Amino acid sequence: MAGEKRKAEAMDDPNLEASLDSAADSDTHDIDEATAASTPVAPIPAAVAGGKATKKFGKLAKKKKSSVRLTSPTASDEDEEGGRIAIEQEGKAGNSGARDDEEEEDHSEVELARQQTIDPDRMQAILASFTSEQMSRYECYRRSGFQRANMRRLLQSVAGCPISIPMTIVMSGIAKMFVGELVELGRIVMTERKESGPIRPRHVREAYRRLKLEGKVPSRSRQPLFH
Amino acid sequence: MMYGFGDDPDPIPETVMLMEDILIDYITDMIHKSQDVASRRGKLSTEDIMFLVRKDARKFARVKELLAMNEELKRARKAFEIDEEKFVNEE
Repeated sequence: MAGEKRKAEAMDDPNLEASLDSAADSDTHDIDEATAASTPVAPIPAAVAGGKATKKFGKLAKKKKSSVRLTSPTASDEDEEGGRIAIEQEGKAGNSGARDDEEEEDHSEVELARQQTIDPDRMQAILASFTSEQMSRYECYRRSGFQRANMRRLLQSVAGCPISIPMTIVMSGIAKMFVGELVELGRIVMTERKESGPIRPRHVREAYRRLKLEGKVPSRSRQPLFH
Repeated sequence: MMYGFGDDPDPIPETVMLMEDILIDYITDMIHKSQDVASRRGKLSTEDIMFLVRKDARKFARVKELLAMNEELKRARKAFEIDEEKFVNEE
């Protein structure tokens, strides 16, 4: 999965791609194992904070999601970013709460989904401040994806009915995010147990168990046969 | 992909295999659940998936973003083809 399924996503923001290419060209790709192990990636607290705030404001969820994603690649000014983003979210929550009650129709949701809270200038500034290791990791994060043909084959064999192209796109996106959740939670588990190095299967299993408890993993619940 | 999300540049093969197994289970369960949700029509649509992830704010927003991007790309491709046709006809 690390090497084989990496594929350029067609959905990348073109501006970002351009800046990424120029930045990636100038960097050398020597990855320091020690720094890779020591950079703590803990976006889940920020994500959970964002998630809790968004429970009431469903429409706002889209805006918060794109701002929360900012926290995952960066490691150096993480706390600062997390703090600023938290304040940003609270401000938005206050403003749009009243409007949310009126706009229940979906035609406005497409508009909201298009609004990006990621300021491109800010993004450029953040990208410029990346170390080469961070940059290669971010590039990998952006460019990796699932092969559409494989996903389509899997979906069709599971569903038994023909699968449309948007469906494969959506499922690939969701699957990638699920991988992200598992890996990030695995890292958190590792730091809790004070281990370092590559993620081991037991961390992934623990992360999976925790996600199950949270209810983020769909499990086909069977009714108990006898009450 | 795992490196992009925070793992080592060289993930352990067992971890990768485990991740793959978990993912296949996840996708399978999602499809089964959405088939339960999808009413009389036999086909699955993106609406069913969106209904399933409605609780998860990040995934829901990402799905919307991907679908919107897809529409934009389709429109752009269509416009590009129309322009090409016009160009060819002008010659």
